[in-house]
Amino acid sequence: MRDARGSGRSFFGARRPRGAAVVSGGDAAVRMFHASKSYSAGSFALRDVSLEIDRGEFVFLTGPSGAGKTTLMKLIFAAEKPSEGQIVVLGRNIARLGERAVPDLRRRVSVVFQDFKLLPRRTVEENVGLALDVVGMPRRKQRAKVFAMLKQLGLQHRRYHHPLSLSGGEQQRVAIARALVNEPQVLLADEPTGNLDPDLTLEIMDLIANAATRGTTVLVATHELGLVERYGKRTLRLEAGRIVEDSRPRSVAT
Amino acid sequence: MRGLLSKLLYFARTAWRGLAASPLTSAVAVGTIGISLVLVGAFALTLRNMEELLDRFGDDLRVTAYLTEGLPDGERSRLAELVGTVEGVERVRLVSKQEAMERFREGVGRGAALLDGLGENPLPASLEITLVPERRSPAGMAVVVEALTGLPGIDDLASGHDWVEGYLRFVALIRGLAIGLGTILVLATLLIVANTIRLAVYSRRDELEILSLVGASRSFVRTPFLLEGILQGGIGGAIALVLLFGLFRLVLPGFEFGLELVLGGATPRFFSGSEALSLVLGGASLGVIGSGAALAGGWRS
Repeated sequence: MRDARGSGRSFFGARRPRGAAVVSGGDAAVRMFHASKSYSAGSFALRDVSLEIDRGEFVFLTGPSGAGKTTLMKLIFAAEKPSEGQIVVLGRNIARLGERAVPDLRRRVSVVFQDFKLLPRRTVEENVGLALDVVGMPRRKQRAKVFAMLKQLGLQHRRYHHPLSLSGGEQQRVAIARALVNEPQVLLADEPTGNLDPDLTLEIMDLIANAATRGTTVLVATHELGLVERYGKRTLRLEAGRIVEDSRPRSVAT
Repeated sequence: MRGLLSKLLYFARTAWRGLAASPLTSAVAVGTIGISLVLVGAFALTLRNMEELLDRFGDDLRVTAYLTEGLPDGERSRLAELVGTVEGVERVRLVSKQEAMERFREGVGRGAALLDGLGENPLPASLEITLVPERRSPAGMAVVVEALTGLPGIDDLASGHDWVEGYLRFVALIRGLAIGLGTILVLATLLIVANTIRLAVYSRRDELEILSLVGASRSFVRTPFLLEGILQGGIGGAIALVLLFGLFRLVLPGFEFGLELVLGGATPRFFSGSEALSLVLGGASLGVIGSGAALAGGWRS
């Protein structure tokens, strides 16, 4: 399935939608060339950012609140468009990405948020299944896939529960299950452990790091430096919208 | 194909869930559509019956020429032939004094015995003039009547054209009222449906945001809302149909006298199957247009 996606065809082998703005991008999953984002004249949330994240790479994005971490992530999943510069995600030029091409990108780039973003009236199974509903996966196949994913995350016994009856850690695991069930090529996690206790934080981070070992490009925004040190991965440090540090681990770790 | 079926099932589930999530708002929308369509349907039903009556009139529209008393038989036949040559006349039938009396006798039934007291037959002989189909209208009749007026041997001319003209004006008035009121009701209904769907979109914005994040296309997000509108409209239409049928069956007999005036004693008929279906589909169309208007540019990924 991943091969089919890499070849530029959509999930069901359909033609890429109009306005997909595909560019040849080598092996990088995300490339930014002097990208800036400003919401009002003269005030930049992100300024002149150039970076490259390879496919399958695990990268931390750190920096104080308001440094631009969330804005950078929003640019990657096309919730925002850059004010200046170019951003290429999985071969697609975000600046020129048409509205119709956004859903196709988002089926390959999943996002996990600090506040989980689960639907309280839907069961765990339905929440995770949403990512498969949008691609029209038949119900039976979908349930099998959701069950397998929940089992991987140790949540299979909770599949008929509603999110509000789960603990914070469990809710975030459901959100991760939803993000991974569609086998994305890129996983973005914006402060995924911000609402969790320290022991749950490690549990959730392990799950996210595990995705990277299976070839998914992972970008985790966090201000918890302890986590960054513990995992010893490449770290991009943002301050006032600029990348002030790009540190790579000394030894290549998975 | 299976993907499409899965999506359709998802849309149906989501639309139903949407209706169930805000039962009061949905009920108001369904009720409004229902009431509007009852009113529009009642007008349509009245018009339908009145127009049907007009069609039947069309076949019966005749001109009767009463002949001068004492006109000899030969003159009568000649006059009948002459009238037959007038443009717009299809055929002419001569009704003798005796035949006129016989008809009258049949018409009065038991009271016929009273007629025996009449010494002399007071009824005139007449010509019953059937018009060609193109002339079977008030205007057509008027032309033929004018052509026959003043012909020697014809004492008087009778035709229902004044009455039919009045009836036509009445039908036109009802039709105008129906169109005017219908337009206002349709617009009001559209606004209500659009508002209901807007509220639904607003109350489900978290869900829409999440759907957008997991890669739902614009149509994937919008279709359940459109379906919700169709369901509201269709249910409203079906309710209107049931109410109209109830009114037709239970209430109408109480207005027999008024109906007699409007429909001339014809038995009123309810909508045919396809007309009833149109009412329900009309409701569904109102629903889909209303929700479409609510979604147009209203939600962005």
